[in-house]
Parts: sequence; structure tokens; C-alpha cells
Amino acid sequence: MGIFNQLGEIIVNLFRDSGLCSLSWENYVMIVISFILMFLAIKKQYEPLLLLPIAFGMMLVNIFPGIMGNPSTTLMTEQQVIAAGFDPSSYTTTVFDGVTYYNVTKNGGLFYYLYQGVHLGIFPPLIFLGIGAMTDFGPLIANPKSFILGAAAQIGIFITFIGAILLGFMPKEAGSIAIIGGADGPTAIFVTSQLSPELLGPIAVAAYSYMALVPIIQPPIMKLLTTKKERSIVMEQLRPVSKLEKILFPIVVVVLVAILLPDAAPLVGMLMLGNLFKESGVVERIAKTAQNELMNIVTIFLGVTVGATASGTLFLTPKTLGIIALGLIAFCLGTACGVLFGKIMCWATHGKVNPLIGSAGVSAVPMAARISQKVGQEENPANFLLMHAILMHAMGPNVAGVIGSAVAAGVLISVLK
Amino acid sequence: MENIELALTLLIAGFVIVFVVLILLIAIITLYGKIIQSAQNAVSNKREKKLEENKEKQTVKSIVREDIEEDDGAIPEEIIAVIAAAVDAVYGNKPHKIKNIRRSRSVRSSWGNAGIAENTKPF
Repeated sequence: MGIFNQLGEIIVNLFRDSGLCSLSWENYVMIVISFILMFLAIKKQYEPLLLLPIAFGMMLVNIFPGIMGNPSTTLMTEQQVIAAGFDPSSYTTTVFDGVTYYNVTKNGGLFYYLYQGVHLGIFPPLIFLGIGAMTDFGPLIANPKSFILGAAAQIGIFITFIGAILLGFMPKEAGSIAIIGGADGPTAIFVTSQLSPELLGPIAVAAYSYMALVPIIQPPIMKLLTTKKERSIVMEQLRPVSKLEKILFPIVVVVLVAILLPDAAPLVGMLMLGNLFKESGVVERIAKTAQNELMNIVTIFLGVTVGATASGTLFLTPKTLGIIALGLIAFCLGTACGVLFGKIMCWATHGKVNPLIGSAGVSAVPMAARISQKVGQEENPANFLLMHAILMHAMGPNVAGVIGSAVAAGVLISVLK
Repeated sequence: MENIELALTLLIAGFVIVFVVLILLIAIITLYGKIIQSAQNAVSNKREKKLEENKEKQTVKSIVREDIEEDDGAIPEEIIAVIAAAVDAVYGNKPHKIKNIRRSRSVRSSWGNAGIAENTKPF
């Protein structure tokens, strides 16, 4: 009989500790959302490198919230410590109202510790190091005017900031939402971790979702704002860029940006360090590590821990809907401003610039540049904006957009923090 | 109201700062691009001039079979051709002449040497 009682007690305890008893309906909804995101990452291949770990982290934290739990300290009397089976000599003591208490510490969950890389702003600059080691700034150096398009595409960020304020978001929250318009995942995570870490989950999901949807979001805006004639413009071949110019570029950029806007220094500094590794040609092994092993390791940690911030109670709020809507507006505005400035450059150069390259000013490297190439080629199959003329021309504003969004991030942090 | 004022200030400040920083970058990159290009053009012009002068004085001598010292085991003509091509690739248009080709006395193979150099290269 006693055996049956014990067995029943064990089963009841197991049920109490299990997710079936402790999880709320929000957790179950989030688990379903994580399944959808995993489907999109695996089946549709929407930004799988980040969406997959984000979705998995999201699922895990909603099944077992303790994985993201903070470390804690409980004050216990000596009797309680002994009753719990602990050794009192392993703990420090606190005397309170004449009674001695033992500080019994409990470690945090696995993701709590991994998340410190996001919380302290370490992972996004490391991702930028890898991006820098993979990026060829040659097209931008050959045609520095591309920087204008990289800057124009950031206007959407600041316009969306006004929209977010009007919708009732606090300034720091509005800044984190607006940066989605920069279409740069690490930058959005960096700014959000500095300004409003509680919104990290929805902002990261929105940012990476829109980056994955670039081929769907951008072409209608590009076609709406340009004429057939403009889209058919064939641009001239870019001049070759010497190795010395490529080596000097990261040094010049980082010196100027870090002096003028120190808050952008962590992102731009690491981006340019990675690029200097690549272009100098003397530290090939480090450059390879930065763009492969280091980048992959940091991507795993960044993805799962950002996903783990999306617990049901934090994610399923009206705010998330606002973030998703405003993020889309920011993204569309960035694309539109880039194309409109492309049109101004087209007019100023008497038709030498194809305005389609303006949309590549929203970072999303290299997808946004590929879309410029694709839309341009639809009008004129002989137009190679990327491979010869358009792809290389579009890569200029595209990489300028990375620098531009980091500068915009620096502005937001310095004003709002 | 206060937040809207902040939003408008940020719009203008953000717009101005991002454009100013990137326009400064355009100016600096254009400037140093021109300086480097003109410096490189000057160097290549000088080189071409020197080359023309040298051409007048002496013609690039082809490799003469008799000039090459042979070991007991003669070096095959194909190997000589490859070495000559490699030397030519390095010196380019500069006048050059291969006087001597000797077998390496190294115990280790070239592949072995390359592997050791790669693995012992400092960071």
C-alpha cells in the first residue's frame, strides 16, 4: 500500500513540476509561433542562420522559463540550511535583527549567462567583426557618392521614431523600434540592448523577418517610385581600386566616425577591424576565423538568447503588434528614401545613375543589392547592376548602408541613453 | 508634447549628423583616392620611361642554354622553362637575365618546407 502511495506522490510531483501545470496560455501560443518561425527558416529558408536559433531559443524558454532565470540569493537560518541538505560552512552569512542568516546562492539558467553577451553589447560588435572580414568596400571606394544613398536610407529610422512617439511609446522604446528601418540585425539588437532590453525579442524577430522579406517588400516600392526609363539606365563600369586604398579605407572611416560619434565606435570599429584583417592580407588566419568560426559561434549564442527573451508574457502584448507594424513602416520608408535620393542623383548626373541602387542603401547585405540588380534586369536584361555595372554599383550603397545604420545607431544611443 | 519635441529634434539632428559624417567620408575618400591614384600614375610613368631608356641601351636577353650550370643529373628543359617563366612573372618588364640554376641541397621537400613555414608563422 505504501509503495502505491509513494508512486502516486511521485506522479503528482512530476505533474506539478512539468510544463503542463506551470505554463500559461501565452507560453503555448509562443511555442506555436516558434514552430512557425522554424518552418519559415527550414522550409522557406528565411534568414535561417539567425531565425532558426531564435525560434529554438523562443521555444525552449517558453517550455522551461528557468533556462533564462536570474541567479538568486536566499537568506536561510542554520536549521533551514541543514534541513535542505546543504553545508553551512560553504556560505557567507548576514546578521539581521540579531539572527545569523546564510546567503544561499542559486545559479542562473544557461541562457542567462549566454545572454550577457547581448545584454552587455558584446555579440553585435563581434558579428560586425565577421561582416567586416567578409565585406569588399571596393565599390564604395570607387564611387564614394554611394554614401549619400546609404545615408538617405536611414531617414526612415528617424521618421519612424516620430510615429512611435505618436503611438505612445517611450523615447527609448521608440528609438529601438525605429532602428529596425536600418535593416541591420546586429545594429538593431545592439541599440535595443542599450535602450530598452525588454523589447529585444519582438524587435529582433521583426528586424530579421523584414530582412528575410526584402525580395517581397522592396520591389513594389522601387517600381512605384521609378519610371521604366530610369530602371533601364545602364551605369558605367567602376574604376579599379588599388590595394592601398582598400587598406586605408577602414582606418580612415574608424578614425572619423569614432571621433565624431563615439557611441558608434563599437560597431564601426569592429566592422573596420574585420575589414582591415581582410584587406591587409597579412593576417589571413585571423580574417578567416573572424568570418567563419567566430561569426558562427557568436551567431548561435546571439540567436538562441535573443529568442529566449521572447517569453509569452513579454511578447504577447499590444506593444509587439505596434513594433511589427512600425518596423515595417520604417523598412518601407528607408527603401523609399533611398530610391528617391537615387532619383535626385539620377537627375543631378543627367541620367548616369540608376535610381534602383538607392534601395540597396538599407543594409541587408547583400540581399538588397541583389534586389536592385533583379529589378533593373527585369526592365533591361542587358543591365548588370551587380555583376558588372548594377551589382557592383548597388553594392556601394549597400555597404554604405551598414556604416550609415551604425552611425544612426550612434545618434540614437547618444541622444536617448 | 515634450516627447514630440524630442522626436522632431532627433529627426533633424539625426538627418544632419548622418549626412555630415557620410559626406565627410565622401570628401576624404575621394581626396585620398585621387592622391593615391596620382602617386601610382607617377610611379608607373617613371617606370615606363626608365624601361624605354633601358630598351634603347640593351635588349632583354633570353635565357641561353649554355649559361646554365648543370649538375651531374641535368635539369630538364621543361623545368628550366618553368623557372624562367616564374622569374619573368616576378620581374615583369624589368630587364633581367638568369645566370645560374642549381639544384637545392635541402633534405626536406619543398612541400615540407612550405608546411613548416605555414605552421610556424607567428600570429
